[in-house]
Amino acid sequence: MRFVDEFRDGTLARALAREIAGALPPGRHVVLMEVCGGHTHTIAKHGLEDLLPPGIELVHGPGCPVCVIPMGRVDDAIWLAEQPGVLFATFGDMLRVPGGRGSLLEAKARGADVRMVYSPLDALALARRNPDREVVFFGVGFETTAPATALTLLRARAEGTPNFSVFCNHVAIAPPLRAILDSPGVRLDGLIGPGHVSTVIGLEPYRFIAEEYGRPVVVAGFEPLDVLQAAAMLVRQLADGRCQVENQYLRVVRPEGNRRALAAIDETMELRETFEWRGLGQLPASAFRLRPAFAAWDAEARFELPADRVEDPRACQCGEVLTGAIKPFQCRVFGSACTPEHPIGTCMVSAEGACAAYYAYGRRAAGPPAKVPAR
Amino acid sequence: MTRPRRATCITCGDVAVEGRVVAVGPGDTATVEVDGRREQVAVELVRPVAVGDSLLCHAGIALARLERA
Repeated sequence: MRFVDEFRDGTLARALAREIAGALPPGRHVVLMEVCGGHTHTIAKHGLEDLLPPGIELVHGPGCPVCVIPMGRVDDAIWLAEQPGVLFATFGDMLRVPGGRGSLLEAKARGADVRMVYSPLDALALARRNPDREVVFFGVGFETTAPATALTLLRARAEGTPNFSVFCNHVAIAPPLRAILDSPGVRLDGLIGPGHVSTVIGLEPYRFIAEEYGRPVVVAGFEPLDVLQAAAMLVRQLADGRCQVENQYLRVVRPEGNRRALAAIDETMELRETFEWRGLGQLPASAFRLRPAFAAWDAEARFELPADRVEDPRACQCGEVLTGAIKPFQCRVFGSACTPEHPIGTCMVSAEGACAAYYAYGRRAAGPPAKVPAR
Repeated sequence: MTRPRRATCITCGDVAVEGRVVAVGPGDTATVEVDGRREQVAVELVRPVAVGDSLLCHAGIALARLERA
Protein backbone atom coordinates (compact mmCIF):
# COMPACT_ATOMS: atom_id res chain seq x y z
CA MET A 1 0.00 0.00 0.00
CA ARG A 2 1.32 3.39 -0.96
CA PHE A 3 2.80 5.40 1.95
CA VAL A 4 2.90 2.24 4.11
CA ASP A 5 4.69 -0.75 2.61
CA GLU A 6 7.71 1.20 1.45
CA PHE A 7 8.23 2.43 5.01
CA ARG A 8 8.25 -1.08 6.52
CA ASP A 9 10.94 -2.73 4.39
CA GLY A 10 13.00 -5.01 6.64
CA THR A 11 16.12 -4.89 4.43
CA LEU A 12 16.13 -1.10 4.47
CA ALA A 13 15.52 -1.13 8.23
CA ARG A 14 18.59 -3.32 8.83
CA ALA A 15 20.64 -1.10 6.53
CA LEU A 16 19.58 1.96 8.53
CA ALA A 17 20.46 0.19 11.79
CA ARG A 18 23.94 -0.54 10.38
CA GLU A 19 24.26 3.09 9.33
CA ILE A 20 23.39 4.20 12.86
CA ALA A 21 25.91 1.77 14.35
CA GLY A 22 28.55 3.06 11.93
CA ALA A 23 27.91 6.72 12.74
CA LEU A 24 27.89 6.17 16.49
CA PRO A 25 31.24 7.15 17.98
CA PRO A 26 32.81 4.05 19.64
CA GLY A 27 31.88 3.65 23.29
CA ARG A 28 29.30 6.41 23.08
CA HIS A 29 25.93 5.84 24.79
CA VAL A 30 23.24 7.97 23.18
CA VAL A 31 19.85 8.57 24.78
CA LEU A 32 17.07 9.62 22.41
CA MET A 33 13.56 10.55 23.51
CA GLU A 34 10.66 9.90 21.20
CA VAL A 35 8.23 12.59 22.25
CA CYS A 36 5.12 11.06 20.82
CA GLY A 37 3.12 8.05 21.97
CA GLY A 38 2.64 7.05 18.34
CA HIS A 39 6.38 6.63 17.98
CA THR A 40 6.47 4.58 21.19
CA HIS A 41 3.96 2.23 19.59
CA THR A 42 5.92 1.95 16.36
CA ILE A 43 9.07 1.18 18.34
CA ALA A 44 7.40 -1.45 20.52
CA LYS A 45 5.35 -3.04 17.74
CA HIS A 46 8.18 -3.39 15.25
CA GLY A 47 10.87 -4.24 17.81
CA LEU A 48 13.05 -1.30 16.79
CA GLU A 49 14.91 -1.30 20.11
CA ASP A 50 16.25 -4.76 19.30
CA LEU A 51 17.37 -3.59 15.87
CA LEU A 52 19.27 -0.55 17.11
CA PRO A 53 22.88 -0.90 18.27
CA PRO A 54 23.29 -1.28 22.05
CA GLY A 55 24.75 2.22 22.30
CA ILE A 56 21.34 3.73 21.47
CA GLU A 57 18.77 3.99 24.24
CA LEU A 58 15.25 5.15 23.53
CA VAL A 59 13.19 6.79 26.26
CA HIS A 60 9.54 7.60 25.95
CA GLY A 61 8.21 11.10 26.22
CA PRO A 62 5.05 12.88 27.31
CA GLY A 63 3.33 12.90 23.93
CA CYS A 64 0.12 11.13 24.84
CA PRO A 65 -2.60 13.70 25.52
CA VAL A 66 -4.75 11.17 27.34
CA CYS A 67 -1.89 10.28 29.67
CA VAL A 68 -1.15 13.85 30.71
CA ILE A 69 -4.68 14.87 31.74
CA PRO A 70 -4.78 15.13 35.55
CA MET A 71 -7.39 13.18 37.47
CA GLY A 72 -9.19 16.31 38.63
CA ARG A 73 -10.06 17.24 35.06
CA VAL A 74 -11.46 13.73 34.48
CA ASP A 75 -13.60 14.24 37.59
CA ASP A 76 -14.83 17.55 36.15
CA ALA A 77 -15.74 15.75 32.92
CA ILE A 78 -17.69 13.14 34.91
CA TRP A 79 -19.43 15.91 36.86
CA LEU A 80 -20.44 17.57 33.57
CA ALA A 81 -21.69 14.27 32.14
CA GLU A 82 -23.88 13.78 35.21
CA GLN A 83 -25.59 17.16 35.03
CA PRO A 84 -29.31 16.95 34.18
CA GLY A 85 -29.96 17.34 30.47
CA VAL A 86 -26.31 17.03 29.46
CA LEU A 87 -25.23 14.80 26.59
CA PHE A 88 -21.48 14.37 27.00
CA ALA A 89 -19.47 13.60 23.86
CA THR A 90 -15.92 12.31 24.07
CA PHE A 91 -13.25 10.49 22.11
CA GLY A 92 -13.33 6.82 23.05
CA ASP A 93 -9.91 6.90 24.68
CA MET A 94 -11.09 9.12 27.50
CA LEU A 95 -13.92 6.76 28.48
CA ARG A 96 -11.80 4.44 30.60
CA VAL A 97 -9.38 6.95 32.09
CA PRO A 98 -9.77 6.80 35.86
CA GLY A 99 -10.35 10.00 37.77
CA GLY A 100 -10.75 10.21 41.53
CA ARG A 101 -14.42 9.26 41.12
CA GLY A 102 -14.12 6.46 38.58
CA SER A 103 -14.28 6.83 34.83
CA LEU A 104 -16.69 8.25 32.26
CA LEU A 105 -17.59 4.67 31.34
CA GLU A 106 -18.66 4.06 34.94
CA ALA A 107 -20.65 7.30 34.89
CA LYS A 108 -22.34 6.03 31.72
CA ALA A 109 -23.17 2.78 33.53
CA ARG A 110 -24.75 4.84 36.32
CA GLY A 111 -26.99 6.52 33.73
CA ALA A 112 -25.07 9.52 32.43
CA ASP A 113 -25.54 10.06 28.70
CA VAL A 114 -21.94 9.68 27.51
CA ARG A 115 -21.44 9.22 23.78
CA MET A 116 -18.30 8.32 21.89
CA VAL A 117 -17.50 10.46 18.86
CA TYR A 118 -14.67 10.45 16.33
CA SER A 119 -14.74 14.17 15.74
CA PRO A 120 -15.95 17.29 17.56
CA LEU A 121 -17.95 17.94 14.38
CA ASP A 122 -19.95 14.82 15.26
CA ALA A 123 -20.62 16.32 18.70
CA LEU A 124 -21.90 19.49 17.03
CA ALA A 125 -24.17 17.33 14.85
CA LEU A 126 -25.48 15.69 18.05
CA ALA A 127 -26.35 19.17 19.34
CA ARG A 128 -28.25 19.93 16.14
CA ARG A 129 -30.19 16.67 16.39
CA ASN A 130 -30.92 17.10 20.11
CA PRO A 131 -32.02 20.73 20.53
CA ASP A 132 -33.50 19.98 23.97
CA ARG A 133 -30.16 18.72 25.33
CA GLU A 134 -26.94 20.44 26.38
CA VAL A 135 -24.17 18.80 24.35
CA VAL A 136 -20.70 19.13 25.87
CA PHE A 137 -17.62 17.98 23.96
CA PHE A 138 -14.52 16.87 25.91
CA GLY A 139 -11.75 18.65 24.00
CA VAL A 140 -8.52 16.76 24.58
CA GLY A 141 -5.34 16.61 22.58
CA PHE A 142 -2.25 18.45 21.40
CA GLU A 143 -2.12 20.92 18.53
CA THR A 144 -3.03 18.07 16.18
CA THR A 145 -6.52 17.81 17.60
CA ALA A 146 -7.07 21.43 18.59
CA PRO A 147 -7.77 22.53 14.98
CA ALA A 148 -10.74 20.13 14.79
CA THR A 149 -12.16 21.66 17.96
CA ALA A 150 -11.42 25.16 16.64
CA LEU A 151 -13.19 24.50 13.34
CA THR A 152 -16.15 23.07 15.24
CA LEU A 153 -16.36 26.20 17.41
CA LEU A 154 -16.25 28.41 14.32
CA ARG A 155 -19.07 26.39 12.77
CA ALA A 156 -21.08 26.50 16.02
CA ARG A 157 -20.77 30.27 16.02
CA ALA A 158 -21.66 30.53 12.32
CA GLU A 159 -24.72 28.33 12.85
CA GLY A 160 -25.59 29.96 16.17
CA THR A 161 -25.90 26.54 17.87
CA PRO A 162 -27.06 27.44 21.40
CA ASN A 163 -26.85 24.01 23.06
CA PHE A 164 -23.22 23.11 22.31
CA SER A 165 -20.11 23.74 24.39
CA VAL A 166 -16.53 22.52 24.69
CA PHE A 167 -14.76 21.45 27.89
CA CYS A 168 -11.37 22.53 26.65
CA ASN A 169 -8.29 20.54 27.75
CA HIS A 170 -6.15 21.04 24.68
CA VAL A 171 -2.45 21.26 25.44
CA ALA A 172 0.69 22.50 23.73
CA ILE A 173 3.65 20.22 23.02
CA ALA A 174 6.57 22.60 23.61
CA PRO A 175 6.09 23.41 27.36
CA PRO A 176 6.38 19.80 28.60
CA LEU A 177 9.53 19.36 26.50
CA ARG A 178 11.07 22.37 28.21
CA ALA A 179 10.00 20.99 31.60
CA ILE A 180 11.64 17.64 30.84
CA LEU A 181 14.84 19.28 29.62
CA ASP A 182 14.87 21.36 32.82
CA SER A 183 14.38 18.38 35.13
CA PRO A 184 17.63 17.42 36.87
CA GLY A 185 17.63 13.62 36.56
CA VAL A 186 16.94 13.43 32.84
CA ARG A 187 19.78 12.89 30.40
CA LEU A 188 18.86 13.26 26.75
CA ASP A 189 21.11 13.59 23.70
CA GLY A 190 18.40 14.23 21.14
CA LEU A 191 14.68 14.20 20.48
CA ILE A 192 12.57 12.46 17.87
CA GLY A 193 9.91 15.10 17.31
CA PRO A 194 6.20 14.36 16.89
CA GLY A 195 5.15 14.14 13.26
CA HIS A 196 1.50 15.03 13.18
CA VAL A 197 1.62 17.80 15.78
CA SER A 198 4.25 19.30 13.51
CA THR A 199 1.94 19.26 10.48
CA VAL A 200 0.09 21.95 12.43
CA ILE A 201 2.82 23.85 14.32
CA GLY A 202 5.74 23.40 11.92
CA LEU A 203 9.38 23.26 13.01
CA GLU A 204 9.87 26.67 14.63
CA PRO A 205 8.46 25.74 18.09
CA TYR A 206 11.31 23.23 18.56
CA ARG A 207 14.10 25.68 17.81
CA PHE A 208 14.64 26.49 21.52
CA ILE A 209 15.59 22.86 22.13
CA ALA A 210 18.52 23.17 19.74
CA GLU A 211 19.45 26.75 20.59
CA GLU A 212 18.90 26.94 24.36
CA TYR A 213 19.42 23.32 25.37
CA GLY A 214 21.90 22.22 22.71
CA ARG A 215 19.92 19.11 21.74
CA PRO A 216 19.14 18.16 18.13
CA VAL A 217 15.54 17.46 17.12
CA VAL A 218 14.34 15.44 14.13
CA VAL A 219 10.62 15.50 13.40
CA ALA A 220 9.63 12.03 12.24
CA GLY A 221 6.81 10.04 10.68
CA PHE A 222 5.23 6.98 12.24
CA GLU A 223 6.37 4.04 10.14
CA PRO A 224 9.35 2.00 11.35
CA LEU A 225 11.69 3.35 8.67
CA ASP A 226 10.67 6.90 9.58
CA VAL A 227 11.70 6.38 13.19
CA LEU A 228 14.95 4.61 12.25
CA GLN A 229 15.84 7.31 9.75
CA ALA A 230 15.16 9.97 12.39
CA ALA A 231 17.46 8.13 14.80
CA ALA A 232 20.11 7.98 12.07
CA MET A 233 19.75 11.72 11.40
CA LEU A 234 20.11 12.45 15.13
CA VAL A 235 23.19 10.26 15.48
CA ARG A 236 24.72 11.89 12.40
CA GLN A 237 24.12 15.34 13.92
CA LEU A 238 25.74 14.23 17.17
CA ALA A 239 28.71 12.71 15.31
CA ASP A 240 29.14 15.89 13.24
CA GLY A 241 28.79 18.10 16.31
CA ARG A 242 25.72 19.76 14.77
CA CYS A 243 22.59 20.73 16.66
CA GLN A 244 19.61 21.52 14.46
CA VAL A 245 15.91 21.00 14.01
CA GLU A 246 15.52 18.70 11.01
CA ASN A 247 12.50 17.29 9.25
CA GLN A 248 12.47 13.60 8.37
CA TYR A 249 8.71 13.63 7.63
CA LEU A 250 9.04 15.64 4.43
CA ARG A 251 6.08 13.97 2.76
CA VAL A 252 3.69 15.50 5.29
CA VAL A 253 5.27 18.24 7.44
CA ARG A 254 5.93 21.72 6.02
CA PRO A 255 8.46 23.85 7.93
CA GLU A 256 5.79 26.50 8.54
CA GLY A 257 3.11 24.00 9.60
CA ASN A 258 -0.50 24.62 8.62
CA ARG A 259 -1.11 28.34 8.97
CA ARG A 260 -4.85 28.04 8.52
CA ALA A 261 -5.03 25.51 11.35
CA LEU A 262 -2.96 27.77 13.60
CA ALA A 263 -5.20 30.72 12.71
CA ALA A 264 -8.31 28.71 13.62
CA ILE A 265 -6.78 27.79 17.00
CA ASP A 266 -5.75 31.38 17.60
CA GLU A 267 -9.19 32.74 16.74
CA THR A 268 -10.98 30.46 19.18
CA MET A 269 -8.44 29.70 21.94
CA GLU A 270 -5.79 31.37 24.08
CA LEU A 271 -3.14 29.99 26.43
CA ARG A 272 -4.03 29.54 30.10
CA GLU A 273 -1.61 31.06 32.60
CA THR A 274 -0.91 27.57 33.90
CA PHE A 275 -2.22 24.01 33.62
CA GLU A 276 -1.57 20.88 35.63
CA TRP A 277 0.06 18.00 33.78
CA ARG A 278 0.12 14.52 35.11
CA GLY A 279 3.69 13.73 36.16
CA LEU A 280 4.96 17.22 35.41
CA GLY A 281 2.88 19.38 37.73
CA GLN A 282 1.87 22.94 36.88
CA LEU A 283 3.36 24.20 33.63
CA PRO A 284 2.94 27.85 32.62
CA ALA A 285 1.30 28.69 29.28
CA SER A 286 0.96 25.01 28.42
CA ALA A 287 -2.75 24.56 27.67
CA PHE A 288 -5.55 26.29 25.82
CA ARG A 289 -8.86 27.69 26.98
CA LEU A 290 -11.56 29.28 24.86
CA ARG A 291 -11.31 32.99 24.20
CA PRO A 292 -13.91 35.19 25.90
CA ALA A 293 -15.52 35.75 22.48
CA PHE A 294 -16.45 32.05 22.58
CA ALA A 295 -17.74 32.03 26.17
CA ALA A 296 -21.19 31.03 24.88
CA TRP A 297 -19.64 27.72 23.76
CA ASP A 298 -17.28 27.29 26.72
CA ALA A 299 -18.38 24.63 29.21
CA GLU A 300 -16.15 26.22 31.87
CA ALA A 301 -18.09 29.48 31.50
CA ARG A 302 -21.50 27.83 31.26
CA PHE A 303 -21.16 25.44 34.19
CA GLU A 304 -19.78 25.91 37.73
CA LEU A 305 -17.22 23.11 37.65
CA PRO A 306 -16.06 21.63 40.98
CA ALA A 307 -12.42 21.87 39.75
CA ASP A 308 -11.06 19.81 42.66
CA ARG A 309 -7.45 18.75 42.52
CA VAL A 310 -6.93 15.00 42.89
CA GLU A 311 -3.65 13.35 43.85
CA ASP A 312 -2.43 10.57 41.59
CA PRO A 313 -2.63 7.06 43.12
CA ARG A 314 0.46 6.40 45.24
CA ALA A 315 1.35 3.16 43.49
CA CYS A 316 1.24 4.78 40.07
CA GLN A 317 4.52 5.90 38.48
CA CYS A 318 3.01 7.38 35.31
CA GLY A 319 4.80 10.64 36.02
CA GLU A 320 8.19 8.98 35.86
CA VAL A 321 7.22 7.04 32.74
CA LEU A 322 5.98 10.22 31.04
CA THR A 323 9.24 12.02 31.66
CA GLY A 324 11.35 9.06 30.57
CA ALA A 325 12.84 8.62 34.05
CA ILE A 326 11.83 4.94 34.13
CA LYS A 327 10.80 2.36 31.54
CA PRO A 328 7.22 1.10 31.84
CA PHE A 329 8.34 -2.33 33.12
CA GLN A 330 10.24 -0.61 35.92
CA CYS A 331 6.98 0.73 37.40
CA ARG A 332 6.12 -1.19 40.54
CA VAL A 333 2.56 -2.00 39.40
CA PHE A 334 3.21 -2.58 35.67
CA GLY A 335 1.54 -5.75 34.45
CA SER A 336 0.51 -6.83 37.94
CA ALA A 337 -1.93 -4.43 39.60
CA CYS A 338 -2.02 -2.22 36.49
CA THR A 339 -3.09 -3.84 33.21
CA PRO A 340 -5.11 -2.59 30.20
CA GLU A 341 -8.17 -4.38 31.66
CA HIS A 342 -7.73 -2.79 35.09
CA PRO A 343 -5.56 0.29 34.63
CA ILE A 344 -4.34 2.34 37.55
CA GLY A 345 -2.48 4.91 35.52
CA THR A 346 -3.30 6.69 32.30
CA CYS A 347 -0.22 5.33 30.51
CA MET A 348 -1.89 1.93 30.62
CA VAL A 349 -5.38 3.15 29.71
CA SER A 350 -4.63 5.07 26.59
CA ALA A 351 -3.86 2.90 23.60
CA GLU A 352 -1.05 5.35 23.00
CA GLY A 353 0.41 5.21 26.47
CA ALA A 354 3.92 3.85 26.78
CA CYS A 355 2.80 1.21 29.29
CA ALA A 356 0.00 -0.01 27.03
CA ALA A 357 2.48 -0.27 24.15
CA TYR A 358 4.97 -2.24 26.24
CA TYR A 359 2.24 -4.49 27.59
CA ALA A 360 0.60 -5.12 24.21
CA TYR A 361 3.85 -6.06 22.50
CA GLY A 362 5.22 -8.23 25.30
CA ARG A 363 7.97 -5.93 26.56
CA ARG A 364 7.74 -6.92 30.21
CA ALA A 365 11.47 -6.54 30.92
CA ALA A 366 14.64 -5.20 29.34
CA GLY A 367 15.70 -7.05 26.20
CA PRO A 368 13.65 -8.71 23.48
CA PRO A 369 9.98 -9.35 24.27
CA ALA A 370 8.94 -12.48 26.11
CA LYS A 371 6.53 -14.86 24.46
CA VAL A 372 3.05 -13.79 25.45
CA PRO A 373 0.42 -16.50 25.69
CA ALA A 374 -2.49 -15.91 23.32
CA ARG A 375 -5.54 -14.59 25.08
CA MET B 1 -2.63 -5.49 1.14
CA THR B 2 -5.22 -3.93 3.36
CA ARG B 3 -3.79 -1.93 6.15
CA PRO B 4 -5.05 -3.25 9.47
CA ARG B 5 -6.83 -0.76 11.69
CA ARG B 6 -4.29 0.32 14.23
CA ALA B 7 -5.18 -0.19 17.84
CA THR B 8 -4.07 3.28 18.70
CA CYS B 9 -5.72 6.24 20.20
CA ILE B 10 -7.84 8.61 18.18
CA THR B 11 -7.32 11.53 20.51
CA CYS B 12 -3.81 12.18 19.43
CA GLY B 13 -2.76 12.95 15.93
CA ASP B 14 -0.73 9.83 15.77
CA VAL B 15 -3.55 7.97 14.21
CA ALA B 16 -4.03 10.65 11.64
CA VAL B 17 -4.52 8.50 8.58
CA GLU B 18 -3.98 9.02 4.91
CA GLY B 19 -7.17 9.14 2.88
CA ARG B 20 -7.60 9.46 -0.89
CA VAL B 21 -10.17 12.03 -2.00
CA VAL B 22 -12.93 10.37 -4.03
CA ALA B 23 -15.39 13.29 -4.11
CA VAL B 24 -15.29 16.97 -3.28
CA GLY B 25 -18.16 18.75 -1.51
CA PRO B 26 -20.75 19.56 -0.42
CA GLY B 27 -19.45 22.80 1.00
CA ASP B 28 -16.18 22.55 2.89
CA THR B 29 -16.16 18.78 2.95
CA ALA B 30 -14.69 15.99 0.89
CA THR B 31 -15.25 12.25 0.86
CA VAL B 32 -12.06 10.31 1.44
CA GLU B 33 -11.43 6.61 1.22
CA VAL B 34 -9.37 5.01 3.98
CA ASP B 35 -8.84 1.23 3.91
CA GLY B 36 -11.81 0.88 1.59
CA ARG B 37 -14.10 2.79 3.92
CA ARG B 38 -15.45 6.18 2.95
CA GLU B 39 -15.84 9.07 5.31
CA GLN B 40 -16.50 12.78 5.12
CA VAL B 41 -13.88 15.18 6.36
CA ALA B 42 -13.79 18.96 6.68
CA VAL B 43 -11.26 20.46 4.28
CA GLU B 44 -11.19 24.16 5.24
CA LEU B 45 -7.57 23.83 6.39
CA VAL B 46 -6.18 22.26 3.21
CA ARG B 47 -8.25 23.82 0.42
CA PRO B 48 -8.27 23.51 -2.54
CA VAL B 49 -8.58 19.75 -2.81
CA ALA B 50 -9.16 17.64 -5.89
CA VAL B 51 -10.21 14.05 -6.49
CA GLY B 52 -7.11 11.87 -6.17
CA ASP B 53 -5.35 14.01 -3.56
CA SER B 54 -4.03 12.23 -0.49
CA LEU B 55 -4.99 13.96 2.74
CA LEU B 56 -3.83 13.41 6.28
CA CYS B 57 -7.06 13.22 8.28
CA HIS B 58 -7.65 13.39 11.98
CA ALA B 59 -10.78 13.78 14.10
CA GLY B 60 -12.97 14.52 11.11
CA ILE B 61 -10.77 17.14 9.47
CA ALA B 62 -7.97 17.12 6.93
CA LEU B 63 -4.75 18.52 8.40
CA ALA B 64 -2.35 18.26 5.49
CA ARG B 65 -2.03 17.24 1.89
CA LEU B 66 0.61 14.62 1.24
CA GLU B 67 3.29 15.21 -1.33
CA ARG B 68 2.75 13.11 -4.42
CA ALA B 69 5.25 10.26 -4.49
